[in-house]
Amino acid sequence: MDIQQKLKILADSAKYDVSCSSSGSNRKNTQGGIGNATLSGICHSWSDDGRCISLLKILYTNECVYDCVYCVNRVTNDIPRASFTPQEVADLTINFYKRNYIEGLFLSSAINKNPDYTMEGLSEVVRILREEYRFNGYIHLKGIPGADEALISKAGKYVDRMSVNIELPSSEGLKLLAPQKKKESILKPMGLINQKIIQSKEEKKQFKGANLFVPAGQSTQLIVGATQDHDYKILTLTEGLYNRYKLKRVYYSAYVPVMNHPKLPQVINPPTVREHRLYQADWLLRFYGFSAGELLDETQPNFDNDFDPKTDWALRNIHLFPIEINRAEYEMLLRVPGIGVRSARRIIAARRVSTISYDGLKNIGVVMKRAQHFITCNGKYHGEVGMKVGLIRQSLLPKPKKTNVPSWQENQLSFLTDLVPYNHNLINSIVLGEL
Amino acid sequence: MIIYLYDGSFEGLLTAIYESYYLKDKPEKIYSKENFQPNLLDDTIYIETDGTKADKVYESIGSKISKNALRNVYHIFLSEHQEAGTMIYNYLRLGWRMGNSVDLNLMDNRVMVVQEICNKVSRERHRMLGLIRFQQLKGDFYYAPIEPDYNIIGLVAPHFVERMGDQNWMIHDKKRNIAAVTFHKQWVLTNIDDKFTPSLGDEEINYQKLWREYFNNISIEERYNPKLQRKNMPSRYWNNLIEK
Ligand code: SF4
Repeated sequence: MDIQQKLKILADSAKYDVSCSSSGSNRKNTQGGIGNATLSGICHSWSDDGRCISLLKILYTNECVYDCVYCVNRVTNDIPRASFTPQEVADLTINFYKRNYIEGLFLSSAINKNPDYTMEGLSEVVRILREEYRFNGYIHLKGIPGADEALISKAGKYVDRMSVNIELPSSEGLKLLAPQKKKESILKPMGLINQKIIQSKEEKKQFKGANLFVPAGQSTQLIVGATQDHDYKILTLTEGLYNRYKLKRVYYSAYVPVMNHPKLPQVINPPTVREHRLYQADWLLRFYGFSAGELLDETQPNFDNDFDPKTDWALRNIHLFPIEINRAEYEMLLRVPGIGVRSARRIIAARRVSTISYDGLKNIGVVMKRAQHFITCNGKYHGEVGMKVGLIRQSLLPKPKKTNVPSWQENQLSFLTDLVPYNHNLINSIVLGEL
Repeated sequence: MIIYLYDGSFEGLLTAIYESYYLKDKPEKIYSKENFQPNLLDDTIYIETDGTKADKVYESIGSKISKNALRNVYHIFLSEHQEAGTMIYNYLRLGWRMGNSVDLNLMDNRVMVVQEICNKVSRERHRMLGLIRFQQLKGDFYYAPIEPDYNIIGLVAPHFVERMGDQNWMIHDKKRNIAAVTFHKQWVLTNIDDKFTPSLGDEEINYQKLWREYFNNISIEERYNPKLQRKNMPSRYWNNLIEK
């Protein structure tokens, strides 16, 4: 099979992995080497679904021995199969990189023969890249659940980011849809990677020359909508992953119905509104000081379709508002709908040289349509409908959608929230960095 | 209205700003002579570029205002905005009064305008870091044509010097007929003949085909969203993309 054929099959199989981020590492180029990494990450193109292409995202092989019901590559699915050799992946990466098509490689894999065998292959690819080609660009490598610890540790020395995908947010989901995977086999490598990261940071303090283990940290992905798990459950899981496993990112992937199966829900369009809400909430956890329990609870376990999680929270906590823009602390500014990290920082900065006027807020980048209801400016309240939850709710309701545009598409377009879209490396980097 | 004209170079602009402090007639506007349309009611004064005066202004922006202000001023200049000269002039006058807190003064329009345009220039620079496409020419030389809105070639070149190591390359701004060329891990900016036609290396077509194959297969059909694609990657850049 020629390379082009393999590339077609193995890119196609890799596309459901959401992450393509190349941020979080500042690996330097070396003498006689090629490449480096940029902390903020760089997008190199955008595919027809509007997602950023930063890395060459491919599977090493799609010849899988497992039978996860939700996955195109499962052993019982009749699709074309292909496998790269380590040399082929390395050559493709280098040649794409030299032409500036990509920031680096995101190599994932189905489970060929067994986890160890697969992990060894992945490991060989990154060894060739780093040692033979002296490649210093970004590498994101999948950790294969169930692979030997030594193999995962070895590969981790070469790469910038590692991820083990959880995919299904609960043990019940795993049992039903991915019977060969156990919660433990996923969490164990995550724990190992985390421990190695902490250890290598310690070592770095003592010997300056020591290499960091997975400097861009680890990430994971959760599929949304393939199981019955509600948003609260997913978000609590996310919170735990950030706190306990120190993950850098959790990605959410609206379940795309790749096949019919009695165990799978019938979905016509991927639940992208839900996915979008989870990303917004995820941002609130990481950069806005919210906890999962503030955004959702057992009585309200799912996000509102019409309101972003922050607006929804503010409406339920209207007694905390309005706040005075010229006095409020940073933490509280962040909780105002329509004020993002960037504008909150700018407000704090601008306050040092002059008082902030209502018109000035627009310049700063505050979304006044939302913020007006929750703030005063120099003591004056400018909200058009007064401090009445019902009326505010009504005035913030999204406009009725045009027909014949699928709802999820509409939602993708209206990314103009104060929260940062997940696939936009540029804004991420400027506003927050992933650090 | 008194208008200063300069020759279009950065030094020329800085000289004009220098003179605005020493000449009796203070300008209301500063324009590059290249895109200036004279008007009967205006008094124009042509400022001769002077390297020493320009250096003094440059030095003073860095030490009396901030390094960031210097960066802002240069970015505004590279935006090639019609009003760039005047904007920089107004911003600097405020800057020399306020010192390094000038950029906090977001309630002031002179500062807002500068930040807005600087953001646009930085955004395009960042975009180009990703969208530049090198083609391998005969003799293992890499060539990338670009047509950016702003004159950002000098802002992207250092990135590729650092990144590409021993690889020899040239980035060619076809709109402005200038090119950044590497030379022993250094780079120079040079003028280039608009009839320059590269001849591709043997492997080039093959890798372009592979890249297009990849591009076409990585998109999720069920999430087809050309509007979002265009928003992130405006179609004016597609000309020089292999995949589009
Ligand atoms: S192990 Fe991975 S590739 Fe194989 S069927 Fe399960 S999810 Fe798909």
